Amino acid sequence: MIRYVVRRLLLAVPTLLGITVVVFLLVHLAPGSPGLGGPGSLRRATGRAAEEMRRLYGLDRPLPERFGKWMSRVVRFDMGESFVDHRPVSERIREALPNTLLLNGTALLLALLIAIPLGVVAGGHPDGTFDRVSAGALFALYSMPTFWAALLLQTLLAVQLRWLPLYGLASDSPPAGFAGVLDRLSHLALPATCLTYGALAFVARLVRSGVAEARASDYVLAARARGASRRQALWRHAFRNALVPLLTLVGLMLPALLSGSVIVERIFVWPGLGQLYLDSILSRDYPVILALSLLSAAVTLLATLASDIAAAVADPRVRDGTVS
Amino acid sequence: MSARRSWIARLPGTGRVALAVVVLLWIVAACTPLFRERAREIRLAERLLPPSAAHPFGTDDLGRDLLARIVAATPISLTIGIVSAAVSLIVGFAVGATAGWFGGVPDLLLSRAIEVVLCFPLLFLLLAIAAFLPPSPWTIIAAIGLTTWPGDARYARAEILKMRELGYAHAARTMGATAPRILIRHLLPNALPPLIVSAAFGVGWSILAEASLSFLGVGLPGPATSWGGILAAAPTYILEAWWIALFPGIALFLTVSAYNLLAEGLRTALSEGGGRA
Repeated sequence: MIRYVVRRLLLAVPTLLGITVVVFLLVHLAPGSPGLGGPGSLRRATGRAAEEMRRLYGLDRPLPERFGKWMSRVVRFDMGESFVDHRPVSERIREALPNTLLLNGTALLLALLIAIPLGVVAGGHPDGTFDRVSAGALFALYSMPTFWAALLLQTLLAVQLRWLPLYGLASDSPPAGFAGVLDRLSHLALPATCLTYGALAFVARLVRSGVAEARASDYVLAARARGASRRQALWRHAFRNALVPLLTLVGLMLPALLSGSVIVERIFVWPGLGQLYLDSILSRDYPVILALSLLSAAVTLLATLASDIAAAVADPRVRDGTVS
Repeated sequence: MSARRSWIARLPGTGRVALAVVVLLWIVAACTPLFRERAREIRLAERLLPPSAAHPFGTDDLGRDLLARIVAATPISLTIGIVSAAVSLIVGFAVGATAGWFGGVPDLLLSRAIEVVLCFPLLFLLLAIAAFLPPSPWTIIAAIGLTTWPGDARYARAEILKMRELGYAHAARTMGATAPRILIRHLLPNALPPLIVSAAFGVGWSILAEASLSFLGVGLPGPATSWGGILAAAPTYILEAWWIALFPGIALFLTVSAYNLLAEGLRTALSEGGGRA
C-alpha cells in the first residue's frame, strides 16, 4: 500500500512540472501575447509606457529566466496583479471562488445522487425496458450542447412561464431570512441543472456498465445462493465493485465541470471562476489566465491523486497493478 | 460469421439511421452555394421576424434569413469537426503507439504528457489557443486537435501494448522492419477498429467544441459563421426572439447525436466481427 502511494506521488511530480511548463508556454509563446511580436503585442509597442511594461513584467529577459522568476513567485503563492484593475490576482480569484464552488458542488452532488440509482437499476436488468429508455435519454443528454439547453430552459422557464429568474446570483434587493435563501436557490436552479446533466450522463453510463458486468459474476451468484435478496445482491455486492472505477474518474470530472462552468456562468451571468477566465481571455489579462489555468490543473492533479489512492484502498487489485 | 458482411450491414438499426442522417447532412452541405447569397443578405426592415412562410425559421438581429444561415453554416461545422478529429487521431496515435511500443522511459514520459493535458479543463486550453492565435478555421482546428488527442492516445497505447507481443509483430521485427514501419504497416490496421470508433465520437465532440468557441466569441471571424456563431446572438435577444436559440441548436444537436449514434453503432459492428474479416 505504502509503495503504491509513494510511486503514485512520485509520478505526480513530473506531471506537475509539465503543467507549469504548459501554462507558461501557452501564454508566453502565443503570437499576440506579451512575449512575442504580433498584433497587439507589447514587443511591437513603442514609447515610454511600453518600455515601462516590458521592464515591469520582465519581457526583455530570456524565456528560461522569466520561467524561473515566475516559478519562484508561484511557489510562494504570489500570482501577481491583474493587468485590468491592478488588484492582486489572488484577491480576484478569492471573490469568484465561492460562487463557482456553490455551482459546481451542487452540480456534482446532484449528478451523483441521480446517476448512481439510475445506473444501478438500469444495470440490474441489462436490456430491460428501463435500461433501454434511460440509455436513450442519457444518450440524448450527452449529445446536447450545454449552451443550447441553457437557452431553451431560459426561454421556457424564465421568459415564457416566469417560474424562475433569467440570470444572476440573487435578486437586486434580496429579501432577508428564509425568503432570501429561496431567492438564492431559485437563481441557482437553472445553472446547476445545465451543469449537472452532462456529468450525470457520464456517471450513469459508467455505473450501469459496472453493475451489469458485476451482476453476472460468480460472487453475486454466490451471494444470491446464500439467500441475499435481489436488491441486496445488487446494491451490496454488484454496486460496491462498480464503485471503484467511478472513484478513479471523479477526479477527472473536475476539469469537465470547470469547462462547463465557463459556458454556464457566461449565460447565467454568474460571477465565478469560469466567467473570470473568459473575461481575462478576452481582455488578455495574462496574470489571471496563468493563475487560473495553473490552479485548475493543479487541483485536478490533486483530485486524481486522491481518487487513485482511494481506489487503491478500496480495491487491493489496483495496488498490485492487476486492474488499472 | 457469413463471409465478409460489409460494415454497414453489421450496423444496428440506430446506427444505420444515424449514418443516413450524416449522409443527408453532407448532401445539405453540398447545396450551400445556393443559400450563401441569402444567408449574407442584410435587411434591417425585416429584423427579428418570427417564423413565417417567407422565413420558415425566422430572421436574426440583422434581418438575415435564419434557415439560409443555418444551411450555409453546415459545411463549416461538419468540416471543422472531421478535420479536427483527424488531427487529434493522428497526434493521438503517434504518441500512444510510441508509448505502447517502446515502453520504459518513453512510455513513462509520454504518459505524463497525456496526464498533463488531461488535467486542464478542456475549454480553458481551447479558449487560450483560439484567442491567442490569429482567428481562422485552421486555428480552431489546431486548438481542438491539439487538446483532444490524449483520449485517442490512451486507446492507441492500450491497443499497441496488447499487440506488440503477438506473433506477427515479432515476425516483422525479426525480418528487420523499423519501428515506424511495424507500427504503421502491421499494427495500425489491426488497431483501427477501436480508433475509428474513438474518431467518430471525436467528430461529434469537435463539432460541439467549435460551437462552444464560436458561441463564446473566439471562434470563426464573420461572415463565415458556424451554428455556434449564430447562437451567440441568442442570449441578447432571448426575451423577444426564441427562434434564434431554437433552430441552430436543433441543427447542432441533430448532427452531434448522429455522429455519436454512428460511433456507438460502429462499436457494435466492429467488435462483433472481431477485427478484419
